[in-house]
Amino acid sequence: MSPTITKLTPAAILLIAATGLGGCATKGFVREQIAPVSQRVTQLETALQETDGTAKRALAEAQAASGQLQSSTQRLEQLNGRVDGMEQQMQAQANRGRRPRN
Amino acid sequence: MIAVLLAFAAPIAAMIAPAPMVAVPEPPSPAPVAPPPAEGDAPLTRSAASARVADWFAASNDNGGLPYIIVDKASASLAMFDARGKAIGDVPVLVGIAPGDDATPGIGTKNLSRIGPAEKTTPAGRFRARYGLAAGRQKILWVDYATSVAIHPIPPKSEKSEQRRARMLSPSPDDNRITFGCINVASAFYRKSVRPLFQKKGGYVYVLPDIRPIEEVFPRLRVQALIDRTAP
Repeated sequence: MSPTITKLTPAAILLIAATGLGGCATKGFVREQIAPVSQRVTQLETALQETDGTAKRALAEAQAASGQLQSSTQRLEQLNGRVDGMEQQMQAQANRGRRPRN
Repeated sequence: MIAVLLAFAAPIAAMIAPAPMVAVPEPPSPAPVAPPPAEGDAPLTRSAASARVADWFAASNDNGGLPYIIVDKASASLAMFDARGKAIGDVPVLVGIAPGDDATPGIGTKNLSRIGPAEKTTPAGRFRARYGLAAGRQKILWVDYATSVAIHPIPPKSEKSEQRRARMLSPSPDDNRITFGCINVASAFYRKSVRPLFQKKGGYVYVLPDIRPIEEVFPRLRVQALIDRTAP
């Protein structure tokens, strides 16, 4: 074994150890850093689900309101027709004139 | 002997006699027409109630600068005044056959044939009268359009049996209740006096009550009574 290799061997061991130990420390650090983010993401997911539920309910209510509006509009149109008819009758009555009680 | 017979006969006669009848209200029927007036009869005089109302409305300017008419159903007469309160004339009228001061709700839309005898009243009160269209495209002076009461001449198509003209000419007011609720005046008076005065802006018609107190129908008359009492 050459003296150079003998000298370099501990250094290489040290380098490999340092690198390996450094890699382990990075994973833990990352996990530590990720934990609050993950928690925040979970919170946001929950909030998003709630918002989604609210939006769906709002959509359902809006659809129901739209249906009611449509039926109300139809009813209004029917009533408009009836009012028009009554107005015509009243006009006809007015044109004929009321009969006095002689 | 006769006294004994009479003593027995009296209770027997009482038993045979018919029981007293219970009075049943009957629908009003037109009073018979009084004979026509003799020449030289006194002109139509205004009743005390009519004169009182006329004085009050002239003094209080209740007519709002419009001509007005006071109809007294009791004396079957009409007093007409111009916008300044000057008397134009007092004439006989025909009024509703049924005594009463109110009108049945909804009577204005009923056909004449469907109006009951007791409904043929001329309602009392203060009315803003205006000319307006009536059946047959004729214009008449509506006293109360809601109850179809108007002032107009005797209808030419009225029943002959009603003898409206004779009733109007008769001196007695008792036979002047014959209409369905309208107020009939002589045709000439309508044409020469009522129409010219009322055609443009209309006016007021005060119909005095039959039954209700006059102060109830015209509440402002209470004020007059108060003033009269407090006056020195």
